[in-house]
Amino acid sequence: MTQPTRGASERLRYLGVAAWLAVAASIYLALFVAREAEAAAGGQLQRIFYFHVPSAWVAYLAFAIVFVASIAYLRTRSVRWDLLAHSAAEVGVVFCTIVLITGPIWARPVWGTWWQWDARLTSAFVMWLTYVGYLLLRTLAPEPQTPRLAAVVGIVGVVNIPIVHFSVYWWRTLHPSGPSPANPSSSSGLGGPELAAFFAALVAFTLLSMWLLALRVRLGRAQQAVARLELGLS
Amino acid sequence: MSDTSWLFIAFTAMWIGIGAYLVSLAARQRRLEARLEQLTGSQSAREE
Repeated sequence: MTQPTRGASERLRYLGVAAWLAVAASIYLALFVAREAEAAAGGQLQRIFYFHVPSAWVAYLAFAIVFVASIAYLRTRSVRWDLLAHSAAEVGVVFCTIVLITGPIWARPVWGTWWQWDARLTSAFVMWLTYVGYLLLRTLAPEPQTPRLAAVVGIVGVVNIPIVHFSVYWWRTLHPSGPSPANPSSSSGLGGPELAAFFAALVAFTLLSMWLLALRVRLGRAQQAVARLELGLS
Repeated sequence: MSDTSWLFIAFTAMWIGIGAYLVSLAARQRRLEARLEQLTGSQSAREE
């Protein structure tokens, strides 16, 4: 398949439109509907939470896709799974980078420092490094072994996701935590408008990441088509 | 610097990041489509 079908292109377009509409709604809710947080939580700056947390969720989701697609690749050796894993890793790194940029911007005025080597921040940084390493491996490893080696990294790398997520409950960290798994009803400090803004942003970022993933997969298919034609002509 | 300025910086950084990734995807896609067209042309010429 060198060109996506017309139906696939249309679905991609609809997904893009839905994603950007959801993003616009989530920006409105986060900036104009959610109430300002107390000064200790950052006041107006706390609104970055509505994008920082969904970015982290999307990064987890993308890296979980890398994990599943890597297992599927090792079982089937189908290049489709390899392409999905590669694409998801790239999208995950984009959102993980956003997490690592927006977090310190919030921390600087609230904590008085850009960065603390505490459990959450360090494990998130290690997660980012793992998948940047995965992408570098895909560029630098010798060609026939690249997908297999990358799949192994994609499977091992997923171990870090629960560590990042639960680090705020397992260790004492500066990073704020939400309701704990042991006590899910504990106060998150969010009222109705804030919860609406938060869940709208979760939906918006999920749609946006799926759209970016679909675009990246389409790009990968075009790369494969070019490679096949170049091979045929050589 | 006020909270609002920090929010603006974080917000801008985030959307610049996503925008830059989108631009990179579009540029790579355009380059590949051009190359694909060129290769398809060469293949047709060979077959003729």
